[in-house]
Amino acid sequence: MNKKLMLGEYGPHLWTRERAREIRVKAEKLLRELKPGESLVIDAQNVEVFDFSFANELFGKLLLNLPREYLDRFLIIENLTTYTRENLAKALESLNLAAIERTGGKLKLIGKLHPVDQETFAAIEKAGEPITATILKERLGINLTAMNERLTKLAMLGVIRREKGVSPAGREQYVYSVPGR
Amino acid sequence: MPRPFAKDSATLNAISFDQILRDQDPFGNPGGRFDLSGVKLITPGALVQLAAACYALSLDGRPVQITVDNDDVRTYLVRSDFVSVVSAVAGFEPPIAELTYQVYRSYRGSNPLLLEVTKIERDTALPDLLDQIIMTLRERLYYPKYDAFDVATLVSEICQNTFDHNQQTCGFVAMQVYRSTGAPFLEIGVADYGDGLAATLKRNPKNLPINSDLDAIMRATEAGTSQYDDPTRGTGLYHLLDIAYKHRGSVQIRSGASSVRFRMDKKKGWAFAGPPMPGVQIVLALPTKT
Repeated sequence: MNKKLMLGEYGPHLWTRERAREIRVKAEKLLRELKPGESLVIDAQNVEVFDFSFANELFGKLLLNLPREYLDRFLIIENLTTYTRENLAKALESLNLAAIERTGGKLKLIGKLHPVDQETFAAIEKAGEPITATILKERLGINLTAMNERLTKLAMLGVIRREKGVSPAGREQYVYSVPGR
Repeated sequence: MPRPFAKDSATLNAISFDQILRDQDPFGNPGGRFDLSGVKLITPGALVQLAAACYALSLDGRPVQITVDNDDVRTYLVRSDFVSVVSAVAGFEPPIAELTYQVYRSYRGSNPLLLEVTKIERDTALPDLLDQIIMTLRERLYYPKYDAFDVATLVSEICQNTFDHNQQTCGFVAMQVYRSTGAPFLEIGVADYGDGLAATLKRNPKNLPINSDLDAIMRATEAGTSQYDDPTRGTGLYHLLDIAYKHRGSVQIRSGASSVRFRMDKKKGWAFAGPPMPGVQIVLALPTKT
């Protein structure tokens, strides 16, 4: 089951790296309680502003640690305002990171991304179930090498899940999915 | 005897402050003296630099004496809280009796000073200060919310740099609006008297070599250059320039014996050599939003 952290409980204006560090400790505690495939949802409702130091320390460090320390756990951010989304996107771009944002029930990526990364993520989400690189490459009309490169990048960023599966012919293969909503 | 401030440049700002350092050499003299005779106006950028210089001189026990002859400037120094902020480390000639004047609180009235000279000793004091800046810009200048947030974010990033660079020292911040000449603008000055950018960045071997203060300033404005081996650090000055560019403002970053003035309407920075001074001093000028 996903866990939720209500960022607005810490105030509408979130300043400084120090403040973010306190919140990150709580977020990491929640991450440790998650099972593979589950997500920590950071709800930014009622948060009007955070500075870049705050964003780097909270979101940046959590995202950097996800693939290393919390493998197969995910971070979803929701209820960002226009302002907080813009600042978070800039912060993530400067760190070469990306995050999953949930808006209106849909998932999308923000941060340091190429349009093809967004396209790949959207195609995996649209599939609605774990999907292989072979099927995805046909849907996106690209070759397998390019498809694998795109998938590896998104998996390394911690925004999609990569699991071992078995093909109908009995061969081992990887399947990809986006975190459950 | 120190050379008094030139009569033909009656404004002491972040640029002409270098002239004071060059002509009067307060750091080279056993008694630190600043002769501001002839000064008729002081900007927030110069005020915080002067405060940082006074504290820097006091570190090695030098008594600082500031000579001010203009009555308006003397009043301004009190009203801007400068006199009380430096009272522990500097005296005035002729002496200034604080009780003669009343400190004009920036969050009220029509005073163009929006934030008095404020000493910041630890980052736990920052959130209240930043919220005060937002409130002042919103209520006094009717700033749109997001523009006020941008200004507070800029101040936050610069001030956090101050604490990152320094252990035993503190920083100073002040803010004023200028409406009377040309396009109105906001000036924000932030200064400290710590180790400076070159010494700070050299703590991380990945940054080496750093060949000069100018090199340090330019490197510090690139994303990811930090004293820490932490990929989430080193973006403060990078974002500072980014937001200043968005608002078509200008930024002067001074550290050691160099300063760089970035004009965002030209997307360019100009480097200047100056007399050495400890710490980092940053002055932002942003067109006002109302």
